[in-house]
Amino acid sequence: MTVVLVILVLILAGAAAALFWRLRQAEAAKSQLAAEHQQAEVELKQLQSSQAQVIHTTKLASLGQMVAGVAHELNTPLGFVKSNVEVVGDLLDDYRKLVKDYDVAVQLCQQPVDLMFSADKESLDKLVKHVEESRRRLFEARRAVEKSPLLNEAKELLADSRDGITQLASLVQNLKGFARVDRDGMDLMDVNEGVESALMIAAHQLRDRIQVVRKLEQQVPRVRGMPSQLNQVFLNLITNAAQAMEDEGTLTVTTRSSESGVEIAFADTGCGIPDDVLPKIFDPFFTTKAPGEGTGLGLSIVHKIVKSHGGSIKVRTTPNRGSEFTVMLPSEAARPTLH
Amino acid sequence: MLGQDFEMPAADPNRGPLRVLFIDDEARILRALKALFRDLEVYFTTEPREAPALALKHNVDVVVCDQRMPEMLGVDVLREIREQHPRAMRILLTGYSDLKAVLGSVNEGEVYRFVNKPWINADLRALVLEAGEIARESPAIGDQLSPNEQNTARSQVGVLVIEDDTTVQQRLREILQPHYQVRFASTAERALQVLEQHETGVVISETATNHGADLTLMLKALKQYHPHIATVVITERANAQTVIELINEGQVYRMLIKPVRMGSCRLSVDSALGRYWKLKQQPKAVRRYGVTPSEETVRAQTKLPNSLLSRIRSLPARLFGVGGVRI
Repeated sequence: MTVVLVILVLILAGAAAALFWRLRQAEAAKSQLAAEHQQAEVELKQLQSSQAQVIHTTKLASLGQMVAGVAHELNTPLGFVKSNVEVVGDLLDDYRKLVKDYDVAVQLCQQPVDLMFSADKESLDKLVKHVEESRRRLFEARRAVEKSPLLNEAKELLADSRDGITQLASLVQNLKGFARVDRDGMDLMDVNEGVESALMIAAHQLRDRIQVVRKLEQQVPRVRGMPSQLNQVFLNLITNAAQAMEDEGTLTVTTRSSESGVEIAFADTGCGIPDDVLPKIFDPFFTTKAPGEGTGLGLSIVHKIVKSHGGSIKVRTTPNRGSEFTVMLPSEAARPTLH
Repeated sequence: MLGQDFEMPAADPNRGPLRVLFIDDEARILRALKALFRDLEVYFTTEPREAPALALKHNVDVVVCDQRMPEMLGVDVLREIREQHPRAMRILLTGYSDLKAVLGSVNEGEVYRFVNKPWINADLRALVLEAGEIARESPAIGDQLSPNEQNTARSQVGVLVIEDDTTVQQRLREILQPHYQVRFASTAERALQVLEQHETGVVISETATNHGADLTLMLKALKQYHPHIATVVITERANAQTVIELINEGQVYRMLIKPVRMGSCRLSVDSALGRYWKLKQQPKAVRRYGVTPSEETVRAQTKLPNSLLSRIRSLPARLFGVGGVRI
């Protein structure tokens, strides 16, 4: 009997010990889990911050690109406006000299009048000569002033300068429109304006070799979004298209309204995208460029921004013929109202 | 047309106001330049394709050309003008300088100076007047030698390589040793020893040593005092601004990007040697390759080791008629 009892106690003790052990194990597992969770959270934070950093770097890279592009566009009008303003000053100085000569000639003409009253025969002859000479000089000085091209030249240079300044102002306006430094956040936006400002920023990459065809629908519906981000999307797609065309080519930019909103298409006549590359183009860090030349983030950022605007992207490509990226965004009118 | 030889036109080309051709696709730039140079005989066109014929027809002394034009790049226009009308001095005027354009302007256009838009009126005027005076006083020379000349040049004139990377040194040795008298230096100090002891017509150099020592100051100083020596720069990573400075203040003859290719390297050294040899025979042409250091460069040069600058200055002049020193 006692043997049975002892055995029973032993079994119970064993069960208790096992239970206790499992409890400890579970606790250990739980704390390990907690630690792992914490670790994962730290890693996630690190990842997020490094992603933010990479996006920031990409933004800086496109800022550099933007500055280079804008610098080029600004330097031409700056070049002639700056020169003209200086030269007009010189022209006016030259003109002032002509007027001064004219003045001297007028003075000369007035002298004989004073002399005439106290004149004898001999000095009268002299006087006639003087009058003839001074009339000739007055005539020449007047003709020089009248015929002088200086004022017309100055006027032309000023007209050019006025044009140049208008051009500079619209470039700066465009730049402000592109970066939207004044208004960050959601806003109603005209995609045509965005496309234009992105084309201006990319102008230095396109100008020599790529013909841009604009098929922009007037009165295209407005979209609600972050203009600075959507402009970034347009710029990235334009830049990609330019890089896909090694030599000369045509970039066709189309905006049109669709059933659900607005479509913005960028079609190039470049190298196209091979089948094995196509599924990966929106993957972060995927790039076909040489190391150091691309971050592999351009299209992934494009994708992310378009998705966050409730839109989507369609790609059509034919190797050696070209690619077309179409961004589809819901328009303000097509969006279901929420009140 | 009878007088095919444009070097000897009927009217004396050295009389009357300077003749300058301006090429830019932006008409307003041309009008601004026309007004700025209203005291000279100016020609201008927005059609780069017409430029070489115009330069030839009017026997212009100076050509000022924009880089970025829709039909044709400025570098290509200047290359054609160099071939068809070599006596004109060439200036590139540009709003944005990408590396490709700058390299092209050295290697193909052989430009005298590179000017950024917006320009400074007084500086541009002084530059064009100087270039015009040089075009009139200093004959244009080629760089192609006859096989005989080439043999003599190769046996008499040394090529100096300034490079401290042993792999590149080895590569250049393979390419150059069989054809030229090549000497190697891995420091500026050693390079000067070579220049002092041997007649050197071509200097091949990096822009900086592996240890980060800047070699461009020395190259500029060398050109400043010995403009007849042709410099070929071979560099790993060139930035457009450095190259522009090397053109304007160093009159670099050719600029190659690493890795060094046999073909382009041989071609460059051959024509650099040709240039030196032709200059030796025609010392008056040397003004075409002269430089004026910027104030910044002069300031930086004062920080060079004392002996270096004075040694560069007093390098023996090996050319007849060229004092070696032109300050």
